[in-house]
Amino acid sequence: MKQYGFLAVMAILMAVVFTTGAWAAGDGITIALGSEPTTLDPQIREDGGERAVNDNIYDTVLTRSPKGELMPSLAAAMPTIQDATTWEVKLRPGITFHNGEPLNADAVVYSIKRVIDPKFNSEQISFFSTIKDAVKKDDLTLQVITNGSDPILPSRLYWLKVVPPVYSKDPKFAEAPIGTGPYRLVSWKRGQSIELERHEGYWGKKPDIKAVNYRFVEEPGTRLAGLMAGEFDLITNLLPEFTRQVPKSVNVLGLEHPIIILNADSGITKDVRVRQALNYAVDKEALARGLFEGFAQVAQGQLLSPSFFGYNDQVKAYPYDPALAQKLIKEAGAEGATVELIGTSGRWLKDRDLVEAVAAYWKKAGINANVRIFEFNEYLNRLFDRKTRADAIFVTASNELLDADKSFSAYYKSGGTGASNTDAALAGLIDAARTENDVKKRTGLYHQAVKLAHDQAYFVWLLNIEDVYGLSKRLEWPGRVDARLLVGEMKVN
Amino acid sequence: MGIFIFKRLIHGLIVILGVTLIVFVVTRMVGDPVKVMLPLESTQEQRDAFKKQLGLDRPIPVQLVNFLKDIARLDFGDSLWQKRPAMEIVFEKLPLTLALTAVGVGLACVFAIPLGIISALRPGGALDRLTVFGSLLGLSMPQFWMGLLFILLFAVQLRILPTSGSATPSHIILPALTMALPTLARLVMLVRSSMIDELNQPYVKTAFARGLPFVRVVGGHALKNAGLPIMTLIGWEVIRSLAGYSVVVETVFAWPGIGLTAIQAIEREDLILIQAIVFTAAISVVLINIAMDFIYKLIDPRLKLT
Repeated sequence: MKQYGFLAVMAILMAVVFTTGAWAAGDGITIALGSEPTTLDPQIREDGGERAVNDNIYDTVLTRSPKGELMPSLAAAMPTIQDATTWEVKLRPGITFHNGEPLNADAVVYSIKRVIDPKFNSEQISFFSTIKDAVKKDDLTLQVITNGSDPILPSRLYWLKVVPPVYSKDPKFAEAPIGTGPYRLVSWKRGQSIELERHEGYWGKKPDIKAVNYRFVEEPGTRLAGLMAGEFDLITNLLPEFTRQVPKSVNVLGLEHPIIILNADSGITKDVRVRQALNYAVDKEALARGLFEGFAQVAQGQLLSPSFFGYNDQVKAYPYDPALAQKLIKEAGAEGATVELIGTSGRWLKDRDLVEAVAAYWKKAGINANVRIFEFNEYLNRLFDRKTRADAIFVTASNELLDADKSFSAYYKSGGTGASNTDAALAGLIDAARTENDVKKRTGLYHQAVKLAHDQAYFVWLLNIEDVYGLSKRLEWPGRVDARLLVGEMKVN
Repeated sequence: MGIFIFKRLIHGLIVILGVTLIVFVVTRMVGDPVKVMLPLESTQEQRDAFKKQLGLDRPIPVQLVNFLKDIARLDFGDSLWQKRPAMEIVFEKLPLTLALTAVGVGLACVFAIPLGIISALRPGGALDRLTVFGSLLGLSMPQFWMGLLFILLFAVQLRILPTSGSATPSHIILPALTMALPTLARLVMLVRSSMIDELNQPYVKTAFARGLPFVRVVGGHALKNAGLPIMTLIGWEVIRSLAGYSVVVETVFAWPGIGLTAIQAIEREDLILIQAIVFTAAISVVLINIAMDFIYKLIDPRLKLT
């Protein structure tokens, strides 16, 4: 009995050898994502897996270059301001959806109204909440009406995927999407894979790669194994320590900034000298090298990457100066004091390690950090607690709009969901910038806000994390600052 | 018999209701799904509006009454995370876990029973010691690590099996093997010890003395009498796997079963889906237990089902 069992297993193994030879071959590529899309309706969820796939099926009104500059996509030109609350968008003529529906002003107006409809209950509402309405002017022109002036509207249009007005009402829409993009859906086998093929009638530049197969593998070790076994051509979120083992890797400065929010209103961190000292005390370069194997840059004293709107290149990171940190803490009479440092574990890359490393640096400078690592939901309770702010809270801020407003409203501005200061001047600058339509003036306001927050040391700015991808030998792709996996920009050797 | 089934079903219902109620209370106590679902930078107003849309702002007693109505209709509503009926997701994922469990536990039985018997025939012999050593090894290696080792060996080095996924029958081999090993280890030890006990019983000696064939004595009489604890363990292994222990194997091999779905639902605080999964798990535990009682009766007709 035992022998037969063994023979049977061997027979299965042999059979498999011949059926599973070349995994990733031919004109198609295979991309391994960390999570499966929950829906392929591009407007309902805030979901990385869905975005990775739909970025290739749908077009947005505006797009960004790989370096991050906004450019027209479905729009014929950049939108223009008519008056303080009205933007006009002109569309490219002659574009159709994969099913033949025309891409015109009606389709864009419909898509805007769909996503802002409270009954539709989109998780993406925070990207579009300033939009009040959209009206068609002629077949290829529409106006977007905002609540108050909204200079970030172009960035919002970069987020707006345009859906077909007729077909999107079909109950099958979320399973079998139809867009205007360079790829069209072939099949979605839930739990297994999504397949796309090149849309030959695409209006833009014809992509090099004929077909894409998406696979969903949550465990990073398994994704890595799949890449090394030749099953995958591209894997996301490669752990920095594995970059030397993969055939090829690509790293791009990403959208994530780990910071520590300091309580500027109470406790010993109320003293600006202590807050500055906590910045001087941390060797950011050592963190980038030691924890991220160099796949992170030191944040330049602001919650922005160089590619974001509002970045102030005059402001630099606090240098690592433990002696100065000790001196400042002594002056403030805070030597040996204890601060509570709140963090979480497993949510962001190296979150816990960063918190613990920072605590060790602070201890060297004379401040004891009482590190408290919470489960994510409990952690969020503390991050969002408006009544009692902890002394120091670690968070990794992310900014998909690449515009200062989102991060600053949440973390810099008094009363923001994650803010621990009540600086009226800073809040005033952010409010003014939010409605300033003049690009130059708006830039100036953010530069002031960045400088003010930096000098007041409202945060310990740590790093700007790079996105790291693992690639097969044959795949060519330079990466993008906005982390979109646009297959149209990839090439196979 | 009829009374027995009726009694068991009543007990089962109490268990299922109790478990789902506990899950209802716990999920609502620990977390707020809206906080996790919306981007961190969302405003409080956006969070409140979203909560209202999901009906999570209603008082807990009202939610509980709705929940009980849902159970009665076997419809838990739409998963917060996937926006489709939670039971549809469960029915989509459950067969994959059932398949993995069946192949895994099946594989374990096929190897464990002969190995256990052979070891028991000669306790302390070379083969016995090897088996005991092997089981200890199988029990002490974390499943997670074992799975990754298998992937490295069979998929990365030898390239004869796929690393992950569930597209073809060959995809089940590595996860089932990983699933089978700890079960195999536990089972082989149990078969061995129960068989050693049985083989030392006087009736075995009598049977041999009467000249009955070896296979019939060992395989027929002794194994059957040692069968109760073995069946208990097999049933327990099946329950264990269905009720959530498959999560490790499913995560490592990206096997889209109920275990992987459960952990994802928990990460996303999808109350509705968590409830549906726990409810289904509770039902399968109760059903398997009833089935086990019948199997006991088949093995040993002297048992009274009460």
